[in-house]
Amino acid sequence: MAPLQKRALYGLIFGVVWAVAIIVVFIMRGGVNAFNEDLGFRLIVDGLWIGGLVVYLILFRTIMRRPGQFDERDKLIMDRAPRVQWWAVIIALVVWMIVLTEVYHDVGQVPVVFLFLIFMSSLIVSMIAQSVGILLGYRRGAGVSHDECC
Amino acid sequence: MTNAARIKNRIRRLRFDHGEMSQQELANRAGCTRQTIIALEQGKYVPSLELAFQIARTFGVTVEDVFQYEDNK
Repeated sequence: MAPLQKRALYGLIFGVVWAVAIIVVFIMRGGVNAFNEDLGFRLIVDGLWIGGLVVYLILFRTIMRRPGQFDERDKLIMDRAPRVQWWAVIIALVVWMIVLTEVYHDVGQVPVVFLFLIFMSSLIVSMIAQSVGILLGYRRGAGVSHDECC
Repeated sequence: MTNAARIKNRIRRLRFDHGEMSQQELANRAGCTRQTIIALEQGKYVPSLELAFQIARTFGVTVEDVFQYEDNK
């Protein structure tokens, strides 16, 4: 397994674990309504948020900085992954928009916690999608060393 | 049909002809990873010109001796 492929796999596992951890904390601490009133709840979520980012950056840098383990094909696969990322984030935002609009349409306002959740979920979706894009790139074999276009 | 399917190579054969050179050794000498050599041999990847020249140079042959373009006409 190529180092980048390994990193993508770790990134995928970490992203899923991170997302599940946040969902579990939300369920156990009383859901969206409790978020505004419970300082401890907010601190736990903030800790998960910052801790997750730090772990992800460490994971990314340790593997990517090893010399001689990254060549043109890895770079090509890495460069193509943002296509998957972009679509995944757009789809996630569209889902948020539709769900929130439908659920809070009668109330006329959306709780502040959703700003937090939308941003957080976009970041996690982006991270997972990047890993999926890289793994798909390796599965497909990358094709040619330049973008097929025109 | 993609370019990857049209461009064939003789890397596996050339490795065999050069004292059964390992994929890792070829990768080290050509300046790429072993996974890229595997993808090349499986016809899943077409390299850049630079890497194609590096591979040909490693075997002491021309690029055309390593890579062949299959015309469907």
